Amino acid sequence: MNRLILLVFLFFSIGSISSNEEKIILNNDAYPFESETKELLFYSLLTELRCPKCQSSNLSGSNSPISNDLKREVYELVLEGNSSGQIKSHLVKRYGNFIIYNPPVEPTTYVLWFGPFILVFIASFIIFFIRKRASK
Amino acid sequence: MRKIIDVLPLAIFIGLVVVLFSFLSEKDDQLETVLIDSSFPEFSLKALTDDSRILSKDDISDLPALINVWATWCIACRVEHPFLMKLKEESILKIYGLNYKDNKNKALELLKRDGNPFEFSIYDFEGRLAIDLGVYGAPETFFIDKNGVIRERHVGVIDERVWEAKFAKYLDE
Repeated sequence: MNRLILLVFLFFSIGSISSNEEKIILNNDAYPFESETKELLFYSLLTELRCPKCQSSNLSGSNSPISNDLKREVYELVLEGNSSGQIKSHLVKRYGNFIIYNPPVEPTTYVLWFGPFILVFIASFIIFFIRKRASK
Repeated sequence: MRKIIDVLPLAIFIGLVVVLFSFLSEKDDQLETVLIDSSFPEFSLKALTDDSRILSKDDISDLPALINVWATWCIACRVEHPFLMKLKEESILKIYGLNYKDNKNKALELLKRDGNPFEFSIYDFEGRLAIDLGVYGAPETFFIDKNGVIRERHVGVIDERVWEAKFAKYLDE
């Protein structure tokens, strides 16, 4: 029962954090937009793009000079009407895949994408054999 | 078969520990350079020394050359300054500066005091050309070959050792 109450509290705490964030974001006048679609695209891109200098934070969470330059770059590209994919590839051409948090599936990232599945496969194989032996 | 199964989890675990541990000691935090083998990006920016002079890609004309990203706030740039002066004094190749997000007066002062190794410096206060070059700090150095193509890039201090290891080979082409 206690666990259930805890879970319910946890659930609501997540909800309240994210709704607060949205309020802050939409009141931001530093990057004025005429259309809400563009504004949402801009802020979603900031969370999806990585700061090249700080490396463990995204553009939205970084105030380093390079992040601010990149925010301006993204802002201008959004205003010009570029799509999310166009803006990402614009930056990947300059900074490499490092800049996006969602790396493409290619030979250098095979381990990243398929490694976990292979490990799960091996683990279930081992568990299967050990249990089979134990039941004998 | 049974024996193998028994030790397999431990073996995989140890294997992972070894692999991940080896990544820990890797100090190479240089980002990949996507621009290698592509031509130098177009730009239109003021010269550091002369507000009325607008520089473009065509002004980087004496090739092969180095493009050096520098600033007065960058301590490592001062470390490599004497080496850049040496490249200039020995006429090894031309160096063009990209003054990056800097205070203009301080930059001019530094060139006056320590010497100016650059043919000219592009004044990139807003970091626009820097973004097109994928710059994420200073100092950074790019080698442009005689066809205007970026062949090599080094992030960090350039010295005799880095020059020999990374750049010298392109000069002989």
